[in-house]
Amino acid sequence: MKRTLPQSLALYAGLAVIVLLIGLPFWWVMSGSIKLPREIISRVPTMVPQSFTLQHFEKLLQSTDFPAYLVNSLLVALFSTVFTIALALPTAYAFFRMKFPGRAALYRLILVAYAFPTVVVLIPIYGLFARFGLIDTRASLVIVNIAFALPFSIWMMRSFLASVPRDIEEAAIVDGAPPRVILLRIMAPLIAPGIASVAIFTFIASWTEYLFASVLIVSDARRTIPVGFAGIIGQYQIDWGLLLAGATLATIPVVILFAFVGRWFVTGLTEGAVK
Amino acid sequence: MAGLSLQGVKKRFGHTEVITGVDLSIADGEFVVFVGPSGCGKSTLLRMIAGLETVSDGRIEIGGRDVTNADPAKRGIAMVFQTYALYPHMSVAANMGFPLEMAGLPQPEIDAKVAEAAKILHLEPFLKRKPRELSGGQRQRVAIGRAIVRKPDVFLFDEPLSNLDAELRVQMRIEIARLHQQLKSTMIYVTHDQVEAMTLASRIVVLKAGRIEQVGAPLDLYENPDNMFVAGFIGSPRMNFVPVTVVSQGDGFAVVAAAEVGLREVSVAVRGEPPVVGTRGVLGVRPEHFASGGDACFEGTVSVVERLGGLTYVHASLSDKSALTVESRDPRGFDLGTTRRFAFDPRRAFLFDGTGQRL
Ligand SMILES: Nc1ncnc2c1ncn2[C@@H]1O[C@H](COP(=O)(O)OP(=O)(O)OP(=O)(O)O)[C@@H](O)[C@H]1O
Ligand SMILES: [Mg+2]
Repeated sequence: MKRTLPQSLALYAGLAVIVLLIGLPFWWVMSGSIKLPREIISRVPTMVPQSFTLQHFEKLLQSTDFPAYLVNSLLVALFSTVFTIALALPTAYAFFRMKFPGRAALYRLILVAYAFPTVVVLIPIYGLFARFGLIDTRASLVIVNIAFALPFSIWMMRSFLASVPRDIEEAAIVDGAPPRVILLRIMAPLIAPGIASVAIFTFIASWTEYLFASVLIVSDARRTIPVGFAGIIGQYQIDWGLLLAGATLATIPVVILFAFVGRWFVTGLTEGAVK
Repeated sequence: MAGLSLQGVKKRFGHTEVITGVDLSIADGEFVVFVGPSGCGKSTLLRMIAGLETVSDGRIEIGGRDVTNADPAKRGIAMVFQTYALYPHMSVAANMGFPLEMAGLPQPEIDAKVAEAAKILHLEPFLKRKPRELSGGQRQRVAIGRAIVRKPDVFLFDEPLSNLDAELRVQMRIEIARLHQQLKSTMIYVTHDQVEAMTLASRIVVLKAGRIEQVGAPLDLYENPDNMFVAGFIGSPRMNFVPVTVVSQGDGFAVVAAAEVGLREVSVAVRGEPPVVGTRGVLGVRPEHFASGGDACFEGTVSVVERLGGLTYVHASLSDKSALTVESRDPRGFDLGTTRRFAFDPRRAFLFDGTGQRL
């Protein structure tokens, strides 16, 4: 399709606005993390750093528990993501393909998980975990993250499964593939964008989860970044340089994840399969 | 290798019965083509044979074995889909090897069989490619390759050529015919292209609204249709149907006439008991059975003339508003708007009763 000049201009102007809107805060945080404290708090903000220092990162990594929080967060987010995908994929396939009584009702029911404010379920979950001796374990966070990510992930994957042409699945059935093989060898590669979406959704939700992490984890060594970092910044006085350095480091895993998973977001995966 | 039999097979989707009782037996090595208008249940019947659709009633046997409720993979069938249904993320070789892999064959054996199938189908240069890097015809050959590697007893094809352009369709049709001669397996082929049906089939099954109208060799159906539906469906362009009245009869023939369209008394052979005088019926004459000369003729006004070079199709309207298509080898002498006589060979005409059954 050919665009006229005004159309192109409008398009680029729109893009520029979006880039600024999303990019500016990022730039502010990242550039600020390498400025000297003097420049950070200077009356006239500088868009381009006038000074350069790694002192905030040094302080963050050497004299705080930030590295431990980073590792905890990574573990919790990675395990949450992997288990969510491993559970959502077969569940979604079962809801999509298998016939069993109560399927439609059950499928709607799983979304009820989102009907309650998280605070409401916090206390019963705490009680439950206390009974199983899960308080102050990173596993407890993984379980909570999975529980909250799963319903959405199942819905998401089911709609991706529905987009795969039925003929492909039937060809596999005629070729003698059992359901497990059809799911893993045929369907899963074809819904890679769906799996990637679920992975990113779960990872970010786990990475930023604060409420449960603040209640279920007691010891400092097991804290995740959102909770642990809040403690570092201090209650009465804020070290802005430290804050910006921590925020920068906290976004890096997410950026890496996008770069890594992004290549699965290719359109036309089923191209050439039918027609 | 195996024959196949369908006994009282029915299919209901909810309350609608889309296959209303089909009995058919297919001998080993036959090439059977299902034809019929869109929605008549061809695909449904084929999918029931494949095991992709449950059977509501009746029995399906393949090679003398009851497979009515067997898994598709345990029926000894292979299916080629209209949409090819290739696995888009796998190479051509992996696509073709997939059923063998599922059957648990060791990799060297799979490679050998895939190579053999690729040779038959001229796919050797493409084995490492992905389906999206192939043309439509090549994709269809991969789909056929995936079916032949397992040496199934019965091949099922659901309109395999309908996504190809006309030229490629002719080429693939010949290739499928060659494949059948080479493999000698039973093949069931669904199409609504009657040229495919006539050229490929050893027997044609004409379906209408979930029921078999007639089964027979292509020429049998052409020369001896049981009813107006089959007569109209087989043969291209369609057979002409003109309402007539029986004016007299004798042993094995009836004399019919239709004065308003210029048809004077003409004697037509009938198969069974001759109809009583005064019966209203329908005379069927194929466009290719018109020829100049003779007494039997219709009078019509030329409305459209299609000159194809070798052949000319003349479309005319009769005074009772029915349309007539006439094939002629001589392109001259059909002026638009003129009224003229179209003579036909009454020995090739068919007589049908008021319900469309052949007399
Ligand atoms: N899953 C289904 N549920 C309900 N009705 C169905 C289903 N599948 C097919 N039908 C109906 O069954 C009838 C036969 O369908 P089928 O696909 O077998 O037709 P067909 O002869 O293959 O037609 P075409 O030439 O258009 O492919 C149609 O009326 C269709 O609407
Ligand atoms: Mg069909």
